Amino acid sequence: MALAGEDFCIVAADTRQSDGYHINCRYAPKAHQLSDKTVIGTSGFYADGLNFVKKIKQRMEWYFHQHDKTMSTTAIAQLISIMLYQKRFFPYYVFCVIGGIDENGKGCVYSYDSVGNAERVQYQAAGSGNELLQPFLDSQIGLKNRSNENETLNLTEEMAIKIVKDAFSSVTERDIHTGDCVEIYIIRKDGVECQKYPLKRD
Amino acid sequence: MNYPNPFADAIDYQRMEQHYDQEALDSLNAISPMTRTQQPIVTGTSVLAVKYKDGIMMTTDCLASYGSLARFRNVERMLKVGDSTIIGASGDISDFQYITYLMDKLMTKEYNANNGQPLAPENIYEYLSQVMYQRRNKFDPLWNALVVGGFQDGKSFLGYVNLRGTTYQSETIATGYGAYIAQPLLRNAVEKRNGEPLTEEEAKKLLDDCMRVLFYRDARSLNKLQRATVTAAGVNISEPYSLETEWAFAENIRGYGA
Amino acid sequence: MITFFLVLLQSGNEYNGGAVVAMVGKDCVAIASDKRFGLELLTLATDFEKIFKMNDKCYIGLAGLATDVQTLSEELKLKCDLYKLREEREITPKKFAHLVSSTLYDHRWGPYFCEPCIAGLDENNKPFICSTDLIGCINFAKDFVVCGTTARELYGICESFWEPDLGPEELFEVISQSLLNAFDRDSKSGWGAVVHIITPEKIITRHLKTRQD
Repeated sequence: MALAGEDFCIVAADTRQSDGYHINCRYAPKAHQLSDKTVIGTSGFYADGLNFVKKIKQRMEWYFHQHDKTMSTTAIAQLISIMLYQKRFFPYYVFCVIGGIDENGKGCVYSYDSVGNAERVQYQAAGSGNELLQPFLDSQIGLKNRSNENETLNLTEEMAIKIVKDAFSSVTERDIHTGDCVEIYIIRKDGVECQKYPLKRD
Repeated sequence: MNYPNPFADAIDYQRMEQHYDQEALDSLNAISPMTRTQQPIVTGTSVLAVKYKDGIMMTTDCLASYGSLARFRNVERMLKVGDSTIIGASGDISDFQYITYLMDKLMTKEYNANNGQPLAPENIYEYLSQVMYQRRNKFDPLWNALVVGGFQDGKSFLGYVNLRGTTYQSETIATGYGAYIAQPLLRNAVEKRNGEPLTEEEAKKLLDDCMRVLFYRDARSLNKLQRATVTAAGVNISEPYSLETEWAFAENIRGYGA
Repeated sequence: MITFFLVLLQSGNEYNGGAVVAMVGKDCVAIASDKRFGLELLTLATDFEKIFKMNDKCYIGLAGLATDVQTLSEELKLKCDLYKLREEREITPKKFAHLVSSTLYDHRWGPYFCEPCIAGLDENNKPFICSTDLIGCINFAKDFVVCGTTARELYGICESFWEPDLGPEELFEVISQSLLNAFDRDSKSGWGAVVHIITPEKIITRHLKTRQD
């Protein structure tokens, strides 16, 4: 899942890799840092995700050598959409979200389906627990169904991290594919920090 | 009792040949996909591996089954690649032999390059996982679950890759039936040590205990196994050996397990 | 016609859509549902309540195929009334749960496509909730139960929002927010909601205005 604040962004993913009812590995990272302004989270078919991220990094390096600058988050967002759609008839089975800082220094999140349909959003959940997570984010970050319509959210980093931890602890209770550990990437103007937070291992 | 015949498709194909003329057969081949490589034929069962103090320890048994038939009983399912890597294979044996050929080709190329930079276990693992992933993308997978173990420059490496190109690295790895039966025992043994690595003797006993349980419960296993270690001293694959087993009346046994 | 029956067999529970949730509080329970009635993705009515009163201290919510919801609610009400005539007392929620379970299991091989949630207070005013599947397997829960096409969304959000010992008004807020935010992410439920809070003294029923899309 990913969520954007005013001048920061958070991308969080659990680290369980499962195959049906079987847990392959308790630490197999699904979130990857692409640049010092962008992080991607992938769920779905792990091998596709890994190779997709590898291809993105390759394209980013080519871009770097051609233009002598790192790709911006919005450019990466567009690239991902195109790369996914290029495999329209044999798609990468991945559901990704990217989070980062855009050209204006604002936090941004892009979410995709497996064939490249893209949307810029404020927050997004993806993967096996997305139905369980999304309504919670709607309520806590989207401020949906509040009686005071003028209520505004001044999302601080501490609040955001707390929401992420709460959300993952709850999903771990009910989704068998989520658990073990959550990696929280915090993307700020001056770089990326990764925090780890243990989840239930059952 | 009818066991599924792995060649059932081929037999049906022959039958078709008797009924259809060549032209009809060609048009049939044009529309139906090739299915020859889409099931395993001669198979190996579990591979178990753990990290321990000095490197990696891995075990397999020596059986290659043909359906339920214990067809080849002296097969080595572990492959030494270079001086610091070992590959253990479960799944289709002929596909594993093709992987053996690939590794041989790769190491010959490395020898000729003679650049003084031997391939690290990580490099071999990456190569293998890309081969496996590309074959699944061609819908013609190599029907294996492979475990790559290595020890180089004081670091141990243990990784898994399967027919779909799915990969992970872990302290303990078990494939096939071992994933269900041995993996909990392995994880339990490693996790209760709180980061303190297993000694060689402990690792040996742990893997032997797991292989014994597997021999009791996995009908496609054999009590003739090999143990390999990858350490600073290099790769060592043992001669086949057997475990002590107990088949007497279970009068005094309470509960399950080793 | 054949297609219709195939649809029923495969996804009778998803044909009309709906969401029901029940929660335990401190000396009170709450049960809430949406009000949509539709045929697959077409909404036909927005006043279809899925919660039925069996007596003052026992409510049942039925999510699933609307025709079965109506039939089953009538059948259960009949059985409750007959129980009252015969025993000269009200049925307790726990007994009622077993009544529901056996009624559903009577139709083991041609089931009602209904998932019930039951909420009530027992003879000592102790809160009781449970849910069953469409053939009567009971799930007793200490916190909350959910059912309907919105079940997954409800599980996620209730797991975050619910906490022990909520008073009636707090419980109302929690169950309402859970239900509203959950069914806004489900195209097959929503269009208004109704919440009942059952306390030893009274029943509070509130109808919620929600977004109509």
